[in-house]
Amino acid sequence: MPTVLLIPGLVSDEFVWAALTAAFPSVVADVTTQASIPDMARALLARHPGRLILAGHSMGGRVAMEMARMAPGRIAGMALLNTGMHPRREGEEAKRQAMIDLAHGQGMAALAAAWLPGMMNAETTPDPALMADLTAMVCRMTPDIHERQLRALLSRPDASATLAYKGPMLLIVGRQDQWSPVSQHQDIARLCPQARLEIIENAGHFAPVEQPTIVARLLADWAKDVAIVDAERDRIPETPLFDRPRSNTGYALNKMAMGLSTPEGRAAFLADESAYLDRFTLTPDQRAAVVTRDWAEMVRLGGNLFYILKISAVDPTPIRAIGAAQAGLSLDAFLETRLGKVTNG
Amino acid sequence: MAKLIAGLGTSHVPSIAAALDKGLRDSDEWKPFFDGYTPAQEWVAAQKPDIAVVIFNDHGNAFFLDRVPTLALGVAEQYEPIDEGWGPRPVPVFEGAADFAWHLADQMVSRHFDPLICRELAVDHGMQVPMELVFGRPKAWPVKVVPILVNTIQYPIPTPQRMWELGQTLRAAIESWPTDDRVVVLGTGGLSHQLQGARAGYINPDEDRKWIADIGPNPQRYRDMTREDYVEVFGSEGAELIMWLVMRGCMDETVNTLHRHYFAPASMTGAGMVLLENA
Repeated sequence: MPTVLLIPGLVSDEFVWAALTAAFPSVVADVTTQASIPDMARALLARHPGRLILAGHSMGGRVAMEMARMAPGRIAGMALLNTGMHPRREGEEAKRQAMIDLAHGQGMAALAAAWLPGMMNAETTPDPALMADLTAMVCRMTPDIHERQLRALLSRPDASATLAYKGPMLLIVGRQDQWSPVSQHQDIARLCPQARLEIIENAGHFAPVEQPTIVARLLADWAKDVAIVDAERDRIPETPLFDRPRSNTGYALNKMAMGLSTPEGRAAFLADESAYLDRFTLTPDQRAAVVTRDWAEMVRLGGNLFYILKISAVDPTPIRAIGAAQAGLSLDAFLETRLGKVTNG
Repeated sequence: MAKLIAGLGTSHVPSIAAALDKGLRDSDEWKPFFDGYTPAQEWVAAQKPDIAVVIFNDHGNAFFLDRVPTLALGVAEQYEPIDEGWGPRPVPVFEGAADFAWHLADQMVSRHFDPLICRELAVDHGMQVPMELVFGRPKAWPVKVVPILVNTIQYPIPTPQRMWELGQTLRAAIESWPTDDRVVVLGTGGLSHQLQGARAGYINPDEDRKWIADIGPNPQRYRDMTREDYVEVFGSEGAELIMWLVMRGCMDETVNTLHRHYFAPASMTGAGMVLLENA
């Protein structure tokens, strides 16, 4: 299964992802030490090997987009929360510089007090406990980290020019996000039409903590689906390697077939196939595939040819017919196009 | 000390067994395939080997998915042909070279190869077919056998590099076995084929022919390939060819290719053999 990598935004840490990490196996990325968005992306790709399902919040979303640009083949799915893809805007530098100066001059608590309120749903009074937790999170960071991250944001790449990710994408934004409004996520969805956009009611820029249960559930369900689809992905096209997901999925099916390697098993299968199948905990789909001798479906559902072939010993089907069925070809076309055999007559 | 007299790589396609069982040896379809083995059969017979070490994979017959040994070594006194669904085939029981097999177990483990050691084992077409292709259909096999089984079904399968190293360990075991036994090593499986998925029926005769030509003189490319490279080039079940690397790895760096043969398709498989002798 791919690693679910959660990338926090500006002066944020695992607190933003707490509801998700408590419920779903995932890892929180560290983007406090790098001086640019591409450096953050490179560092995370190096530190977290293999297939990745990314979830990036705010600045973390920009890092995720950059990772997908650098290594699209490694990204199994990408969730972007409260973020945007546009380059630096006019006047942005001066506002950011004021925040940098504030943090250095008056400390992180003062920064939190000035910065956080604009990030929250403005239509209600923020929950004091949540504000205290967020302030504590900001205070776990330093003015140097804050400056480094802001300068990384100011020099950010224009993701709107390069965003070409084709894989599964989930966009999450708070309805009341004033900083990264819904429209920015609609812009992303226009570039990536496969994206699913979820607007969270009663949430601002910190949707993952303003509506933690809803956002964590959305992310967990989405990541689970992405992981299943990713397990079915074959690096070599149309070539299912019998790996752990397939072995697990097909275990009962293959065990049923293995039972046909004794005369007793074969006799039982021939005498009453349905009763024989009852001995094994096949899924309804697997059972239907066996009953209809749908070889392609049996393989799709985790059957391995070396086991399910034993069905063809009881109920004879030539191996080449099984091959043709999986290839989706008539036997003649299969022999001719795959095996170079020209059939007679 | 015992002597390694030859390394032989060969397919172990079950349809070959079925063709023999049905008396199709000399049929139009199969005669060219079987005839291609005759010179190698004659060469091996003249060399009078005592022991054949056969490297093959079980095809879901002796082992189910409940326990999958990456490497298994037979130390039995004898090996019966197994029931693969059609009943056991009428081939003679294989007599085990049990003493040498235990020596091999010692050598392997002391060199950090840790196989499942099998005191009782029935063998499928993975071993039967190569033995028939090399020794014909005698009343009794003219050699004792040592089966080495490699998992090539359940991923992760071992790497090609590890197979080569196993061959080197096998060589050391042969050359430290204090008898006059003459040993032939059979690396089996392949060549290109794929039984599973929408790419079923994939074969790659060009790459098969290259393999047959190069596995003796130029094996480096095949040592360097990844498992996925094998699957991509030779098909999902064609990755069985990694077992030929055990055979090649136990030979000298320089070898003579005495005989070679290629035929496609045998059923759904590129099939063939190569016979190597240390130069």
